[in-house]
Amino acid sequence: VTSSETHTAGTSGSFVLARDLFADYDVGSFFDEAAAPDGKPRSHYRTYLDAIGEFSLDELRRRARMRDATFRSRGITFTVYGDDAGLEKTLLMDLIPRIIPADEWAAVEAGLAQRVRALNLFLEDLYDGQREAVRDGIVPEWLVVSSDGFSREAFGIPAPGGVRCLVAGIDLVRGADGGFYVLEDNLRNPSGISYVVENRAVMNRLFPRITGLHRIRPVDHYGASLLRALRSVAPPTASDPTVVVLTPGVFNSAYFEHAFLAREMGAELVEGRDLVVDDHTVFMRTTTGLRRVDVIYRRLDDHFLDPVGFKSESMIGVPGLLAAARAGRVTIANAVGNGVADDKGVYPFVPELIRYYLGEEALLPNVATYLPWEPDHLEIVLERLDQLVVKPVAGSGGYGLVIGPSATDEELDTIRRQILEDPRAFIAQEVVQLSRVPTQIGDGVAGRHVDLRPFVLARSDGIEVIPGGLTRVALREGSLVVNSSQGGGSKDTWVLYDSGEMG
Amino acid sequence: MTMLARHAEDLFWAGRYVERAQDTARLLDVTYNEQIEAGPVFARKTWFDLLQVLSLEATFAASGRRLDAEGLTSFLVADRENPGSIVIAIERARENARGLRELLSTELWEAINNAYLSLQARDVARDLDEHPAQLYAFVKTACQTILGAAAETMNRDDGWRFLMLGVQVERAEMTCRLIEVHSRRVPADAHPTMADWSRLLESAAATEAYVRTYAASPDPAHVLGFLLLSRTFPRSVFYSLRAAEQILQNIDPESGMSEARRILGRMRAGLEFRAIDELLDDDLPAHLEALQTDVLDVATAVAHRYFRMAEGDLHLTAVRGEPAEGVRLPGGVLSS
Repeated sequence: VTSSETHTAGTSGSFVLARDLFADYDVGSFFDEAAAPDGKPRSHYRTYLDAIGEFSLDELRRRARMRDATFRSRGITFTVYGDDAGLEKTLLMDLIPRIIPADEWAAVEAGLAQRVRALNLFLEDLYDGQREAVRDGIVPEWLVVSSDGFSREAFGIPAPGGVRCLVAGIDLVRGADGGFYVLEDNLRNPSGISYVVENRAVMNRLFPRITGLHRIRPVDHYGASLLRALRSVAPPTASDPTVVVLTPGVFNSAYFEHAFLAREMGAELVEGRDLVVDDHTVFMRTTTGLRRVDVIYRRLDDHFLDPVGFKSESMIGVPGLLAAARAGRVTIANAVGNGVADDKGVYPFVPELIRYYLGEEALLPNVATYLPWEPDHLEIVLERLDQLVVKPVAGSGGYGLVIGPSATDEELDTIRRQILEDPRAFIAQEVVQLSRVPTQIGDGVAGRHVDLRPFVLARSDGIEVIPGGLTRVALREGSLVVNSSQGGGSKDTWVLYDSGEMG
Repeated sequence: MTMLARHAEDLFWAGRYVERAQDTARLLDVTYNEQIEAGPVFARKTWFDLLQVLSLEATFAASGRRLDAEGLTSFLVADRENPGSIVIAIERARENARGLRELLSTELWEAINNAYLSLQARDVARDLDEHPAQLYAFVKTACQTILGAAAETMNRDDGWRFLMLGVQVERAEMTCRLIEVHSRRVPADAHPTMADWSRLLESAAATEAYVRTYAASPDPAHVLGFLLLSRTFPRSVFYSLRAAEQILQNIDPESGMSEARRILGRMRAGLEFRAIDELLDDDLPAHLEALQTDVLDVATAVAHRYFRMAEGDLHLTAVRGEPAEGVRLPGGVLSS
């Protein structure tokens, strides 16, 4: 195909090359991860853009159909709650990957490891230590005990190696300056890692030649890494620990991921009814009788774990589980009570906690945050409500988020009233002009805003950061909300090897 | 080898559902053709016989459908209230498999999921109206693809064994039903035509195997003997029972004579050491029904020994968990 053919063929489709799709690409006034402000490709995107440029529009469309068929037939789905209850949806993976060069990633990786180390020290200090950070006034005590995630049931439950948060998902964004910021911590049951691994597998199938041109750090060892971490926190008495994944069941929205993790680890995927506690020991019911369980990677919330321990009405938990954990006969990961440390009201104190526990400056900065319970902050928040993002401290998944600049007057009035009623329930942050990455939109390519959820695994003897993580992309033009529950998609995220490293 | 009791049960039932879907398609295929040839007067009786053989008269009556080709095929293929319909069987198999993802190979899951998605995408009402045979062929192929993927990709552990145990148990039962529905229409003492018997053989995918064994002779004793007693044909009742017995022994080599193995062994021996004439001279329908009752007992014994075994081990000092109500349907909700 010559270039003249390409152009005369115009929009008929078959002879349009992807490179032409990028011809009208508008960098806009945002930080674009693929292109410099002058529109020239950044160096780590050059190989990719050259290679994808050779694809015709028809070839790209065919890849999109293959992608959709693959995700559907592999059942890579999440379940939607609400109006379409029970409906299985796939998380749309954009065909264009996000690429992060080695040096940028090295800095992020160090910052993530540092943060998770400090958060684990904080949790251990709170639940199994002398509460020194509180005593020394680093975090106000009232803030800790008023957190929804603070759990009295967690006291006295040992965490081998001090690992209370074994799997962390730390949400990062890049601002207008291109720097990475921590948007929020997820220290309870962060989900999304299955999409990271599956996206890569599908990408390798769709574009084997292009992925082959790059030296991309792998992500498919996640199961082995998770298993290693879980075994590292087994009760000291277990010589060959049995690990299980505990799921609420097949109707949970993240069920695909639970099954994925069990399969990748070669662990049993159990529901509460498969487990039974006898004399502070946890067993699973098998075809040959009861078999002891040492480590439970649970993917249900604290309150559903144990109807006795939490005095709840829940039917999906395991009566006696908490007592068994407290007796040190089984390890529950992530530990009970982690919600206190990912409370958005505690988030502003994390840089201080890093300084306090590690004697280091935080490598990854927070987004500028206002705390409405501080009178001087409250004044700013109310005055600049239409310029800030307001978030409920205990929320996740983008629910309850109010983005000032795009909110209606009515929404602003409501949130203003709510803040005044219960200032502890909210924080306000400066709007981050999220970075953009080229994204396939219709028959073209346009910049769309992204965030990044890297996954951090803590073991009793170290920390491992999975290269990249889940890039979520807001497919609607101008939207800053990337949550899958709010119409977002995802991107395969490539962390490249340093040119000197061996792939 | 050991596995979660719930998983074993779900695999067992996934196997049964897939085989049930396939065999129901086979039954319908043969009955549909028979009733066309029988003419309108006998067609009703043919359909009613089929319902009786499947023990679904009451469910059918409750559905308010007409006892004709349209009413019956749509009931057995697509009725959501009929726990034995093909659509429901495939849906349940897929629901079970979804809860077993980490135990199944990706290819097996994809085969099950694709069967489900393709069936969902079909206009079943139109299929039944215009070309039912194509629909039945599709179901048979989809089920064979599933079982083929299982055979080619599944590790030969207890998961595989419980899946195949479900297939074999269901197949033994459904082959009995296939013979029963046919022998009602063509009593052994009548003068059947080759077409009658070849249709029965065809519905069990046995035509070629039979012809190579007995040549093309329409002898009822041979045909029935082949489907009941063949040592070599994988869909004969004897073959399925022996396979199920072997699977149980592999699951539990130390167990000696468990209840399920005892019943299976007795059934198998009852066929193995009996001449076909004895079966035919006697009351064949009664034999077939006795076999089906025994299959039910086998399933009950298997459930008792493997799916609820842990109950007996508990001497609990702590509180214990009851299965959550309404969280999930148990595998074995079908009346057999």
